[in-house]
Amino acid sequence: MKTGRFEQQPTTNTVEEPLDLIRLSLDERIYVKMRNDRELRGRLHAYDQHLNMILGDVEETVTTVEIDEETYEELYKSTKRNIPMLFVRGDGVVLVAPPLRVG
Amino acid sequence: MVVNSIRERTITENSMVILLQGLQGEVTTVDLRNESTARGRVVNVDAFMNVRLEDVLYRDRLGQLTQLQDLFITGRNIRYVHIPDHMDIMKTIESQLAKIHRVRNFGSEGGGRKEFAKKTK
Repeated sequence: MKTGRFEQQPTTNTVEEPLDLIRLSLDERIYVKMRNDRELRGRLHAYDQHLNMILGDVEETVTTVEIDEETYEELYKSTKRNIPMLFVRGDGVVLVAPPLRVG
Repeated sequence: MVVNSIRERTITENSMVILLQGLQGEVTTVDLRNESTARGRVVNVDAFMNVRLEDVLYRDRLGQLTQLQDLFITGRNIRYVHIPDHMDIMKTIESQLAKIHRVRNFGSEGGGRKEFAKKTK
């Protein structure tokens, strides 16, 4: 279990395993892709080996596809909501990345 | 207040479930995997993230509300747990860890058994 601002266990500064890359993002804003077409953007406060995470100032985006019955066009809709502090269960997490920058 | 099984204590100590255990007595919203939500007072959370809530307002995926006295949610079915704004996360984790260490060291001063005491030569 790793938490920002206060280390529970002594940690090295080198990047040794994939989870260490997430450690580099502690207290930073991150982008999390989740199962069921969900995305989260928030500040990473803590995480553990299961990828259970505590995110602050989170924006959740749920994307749905509707198909127009006549034209068979795919209409992508997204619903957003904001949550001040969220505990995320790790088994829903697909990937973790720095926030996407629109160039 | 602290679980009785050594295995559960170890699992709890090494994962973020320990924060959820510190939510006991607080009113929170749990988002389930099946798109429904349950808002109620946390009675207990175990090492496997199984949650028991009381005085629950359960909203299913269609928005229909049901009131429940007691609700048990399997850990696997949880997607999110909303943490109340007023909670100090670090303090909560630290106090939960202190509880576990107190239990683990119970009786050690009186020569009692210590869990996983280091073998010294």
